[in-house]
Order: sequence, then C-alpha cells, then structure tokens
Amino acid sequence: MTKKSKCHSSENISRFVDKELDHDFYNEVAQHLDHCPDCRKISEAYKTLSDVFTDHAHTQISKIDPGILKQKLVSPLEHIEKKSMGNFFGIFSKNIYLKLASITAILMISLYTLQGYYPKGPSAIVKSVDTDFASVMIIETQKEKHTIIWFSET
Amino acid sequence: MIRFIKILLLIIGIFCIISQQAQAVAKNRVLTNVKVIHASTVSNHVDPSLKRIISELKSVFKYTSYRLLNNRNLNLGFNEMGRVALPGKRTLIVIPSNMEGKRIRYQINIQKNRQSIFQTRVLLKNNGSITIGGPQFNNGVLLFNISGSVR
Repeated sequence: MTKKSKCHSSENISRFVDKELDHDFYNEVAQHLDHCPDCRKISEAYKTLSDVFTDHAHTQISKIDPGILKQKLVSPLEHIEKKSMGNFFGIFSKNIYLKLASITAILMISLYTLQGYYPKGPSAIVKSVDTDFASVMIIETQKEKHTIIWFSET
Repeated sequence: MIRFIKILLLIIGIFCIISQQAQAVAKNRVLTNVKVIHASTVSNHVDPSLKRIISELKSVFKYTSYRLLNNRNLNLGFNEMGRVALPGKRTLIVIPSNMEGKRIRYQINIQKNRQSIFQTRVLLKNNGSITIGGPQFNNGVLLFNISGSVR
C-alpha cells in the first residue's frame, strides 16, 4: 500500500500551477498531486482560473489596435512638447507679427506724443549777432524760456 | 478683447507713421508773424492781442504800456525774404533759411535809412517766438515779436 504524503498548502499549489516553484519542490508537489485527489482538485481549480484569466487578457490585448494606442498616448505628449517649444521660442509662434506690430504701434504712439514736447530749451537759440552798436543783451525769461535780444541804438 | 486692442494699436501706429510722412512732405512753407509793439511807461494800457506774450515781457521789462502798432503775417518759403515796415524809417527783413532739427533757422535784419543796423541768425523753435527790442520811439522803445511755424 502506497503511503499518502502530507498535503501541500493552497499557496504552494497555486505557485505550482504558476510554475513558480524550484525544480525539486515542483517535482515533489507533482508526485503528490498524482496520488492526492483533494490537492489535485485544488490544483485544477487554480489551473482553470489561471487559464480563464490568461485567455481573457489575451483576447482583450489582441483587440487593441497599436495605431490607435499610439495616437491616444503619443500624440498628446507630442502636442504638449510642441506647445512648450512654441512658448520657449516665442518668436516662432504664429502671433509673432501681431506682437511685433503692437510693440511698433506703442513705440510710434509714444514718439508721436512726445514730439510735441521737443525740442526743449529756449524759444530761440541765437547763433550770431552783428551790429555796429556795442550794447547787446540776450535774455531768456524764467517761466516760458522766451528769448529776447535787446540792443541799443545809442 | 486683447486681440482687438492690439489691432487698434496697430492701426493708430500706422496712422501716426502716415501722418508724420505727410507732414514731412507738406512742410515747405513758413508762416511768420511779426508784431511791432511800442512799450513805454506813459500809461498802463496793454493791448489785448498781446496777452500771450505780455507776462513774459513784463517779467523782464519795467514798461507799463504795451501797444500793438503793427501785426503782419508773412507766408514765406525757405530763403524767401519778408519785409515789414517799422516806425522811424526802419525796415525789418526776415528770411527763413532752412530747418535745423525741429527749429527754423531765421536771418533777421533791421535797417534804418536802408543801412543795416542790426542783424542776427537764430534757431527758432517751431511755433515759438523771439522778441527783439531796443530802438527808441516816442518816449518808449520798439519791440519786435517774431514767431514762426512750418506748414
């Protein structure tokens, strides 16, 4: 009469089904399963479960179109990259002409506005005076910087 | 909204450029105004037409009366001579020579009995004025206020 060995834990049987045991222990569990209907039953249950899971996963993966997957995952990343590059090299963005035009407009308005205030200084700059009379004065008023030339005929 | 503001600024900028170019092309005439003023202490009369410059004159001179004797507008081209008759057989000659930056270069000459008694070259601020004075006349003095603006 063959002596029945001690039953293995369900965890070990699960690892046996998944072929995660080392070689010696795997053979030991395999021999035990040949003689133990209870453990074999557990083993078959795990095997069925594993097969179902593997088949289902395989079916689902086979349904995925790599092209669509790439489009869904890679394209948004490329878009984000392009956007960040566009922001970094701001001058290459499509609104560059509008931005340049706006800056030019602001500068022109500033110059146009300031034009009325220039030139500063006296109302007239006297470059030369030629007279036979010795007494000539050039005066600049304090408030409006109005230039006055005063000469005496005597 | 921001786009609208940018476009508006662009339009205004273009308008500024065009108007500046138009001004640069059109500015070849110099409107010169000569006011002949008699300043004295005989009264307190101040001519109302001298309101713009009277405060400047009063800040320098001791005169109490400022009477406008003559007011002449001369529309001159560059290097074109303008003549204004002055009291006491005097003549004022003004010649706008050219533009130097934003200023008008003027040659101003005062003659008496056809003899030059005073001449000067000035750079007058566009829309600005200069006053030349000193000749004695009727218990007072004559002042010549000369203003110029390019058109």
